[in-house]
Amino acid sequence: MSAGRPPDELEAEPDEPGDVLQLPMAPRATDIALGELEIVYAFIYARVGNRADAEDLTQQVAMKAIPRLREGSPASAIRGYLFATARSVLGGFWSTRLGLSEAELHEDLALAVPQSPPSEERADTVQRILAELSDNYRRVLELRFLHGYSLKEVAAEMHSTVGAVKVMQLRALRAAAKVKVYP
Amino acid sequence: MNKPENRVDKIVSDLLHGRRLRLSGGDADEKAAITAAARLAAARQGPQRMNPAFRKRLEQALELAPREPWLTRRAALVAGLGVAAGVVSGGLVGRILHGAPTAQVQGGGPIVPIGGRWVDVAAMSDLVEGQGTRVTAGSVGAFVFRRGDTVTAVTSICSHLPCELWWNGGQGLLDCPCHPVSFTAEGKSTDLAYPLPDLNTVHVRVTPAGRVEVLGTA
Repeated sequence: MSAGRPPDELEAEPDEPGDVLQLPMAPRATDIALGELEIVYAFIYARVGNRADAEDLTQQVAMKAIPRLREGSPASAIRGYLFATARSVLGGFWSTRLGLSEAELHEDLALAVPQSPPSEERADTVQRILAELSDNYRRVLELRFLHGYSLKEVAAEMHSTVGAVKVMQLRALRAAAKVKVYP
Repeated sequence: MNKPENRVDKIVSDLLHGRRLRLSGGDADEKAAITAAARLAAARQGPQRMNPAFRKRLEQALELAPREPWLTRRAALVAGLGVAAGVVSGGLVGRILHGAPTAQVQGGGPIVPIGGRWVDVAAMSDLVEGQGTRVTAGSVGAFVFRRGDTVTAVTSICSHLPCELWWNGGQGLLDCPCHPVSFTAEGKSTDLAYPLPDLNTVHVRVTPAGRVEVLGTA
């Protein structure tokens, strides 16, 4: 913490106007990158499931990748670079938070570069997962995740107890994790 | 709350309420269930687009991506460079000239504003022991803390996103409104899993008359 006298060199003069203005990156590359970052954001959000983490991770991707991008790069090259960075950032996120190894993240890391935001991802993903589960597991996840039921409401709907629903939810999620979501 | 079904349900509940993943090493055993829950929660929302405010912040960050010797928007805000910040808002950035006087705004280091001057911000008797008090010294915003006869100060701008911190008296921390991170009165990030640079410190002094002065701008 700093206290007491300030450094001596305080008699500064303001920057001279007109001497200092320049873009750090030409607009076209920034605009392209912003468009591509929309797809990166959707990609990250689909894996972390919440806005706050998705925003932080997307910003990390942007700040890591953008300064290295060269003006004049085609959009496809920018997308490839951004997604390579996104995989690295996501890998770091999970490995830091959960101790996941890269091998365990293989499914994410090996994923092909998306061509556009997947408009049907919700229906495809949910149906693919749920179709593979037993009736009870499917029901508890449907009620919790699709209908937003509380544990109490799920318990009432399934004529069970909150404790039993919690255990069933955990087992259903473990089973869901084994379903291949992305072909 | 230690049973795995309880821990995982807490995470599910957070996700269903749109909160971020708060995980610990103990959750590693349930990593498969947690990643499945995150994907289901995301699928429930459908494909997501960036929030306009976030997109705007990102655009500004991209335009001001740190490149030596460039001055970033956050650095400009932290240093209270009114002129530079005004230029920045137009999508441009001021270059720090070699040999020219500059603002010192490295992570954790003290802020030395261009043309800085001491600004009276409070009386010692106004400051509550251990509590952060938001003060303004020209273009420099700071939180000052009193411990006995000593006063310290840190910037009021987050070290990550250019957002104004606020004092959370209950926990004795500076919270960032733009994302859930907090800093101690010493400017240290509290989240070990997601460490951020230290807050810049701000020069502060106490006069013989018991007035607190912060090094700010005119």
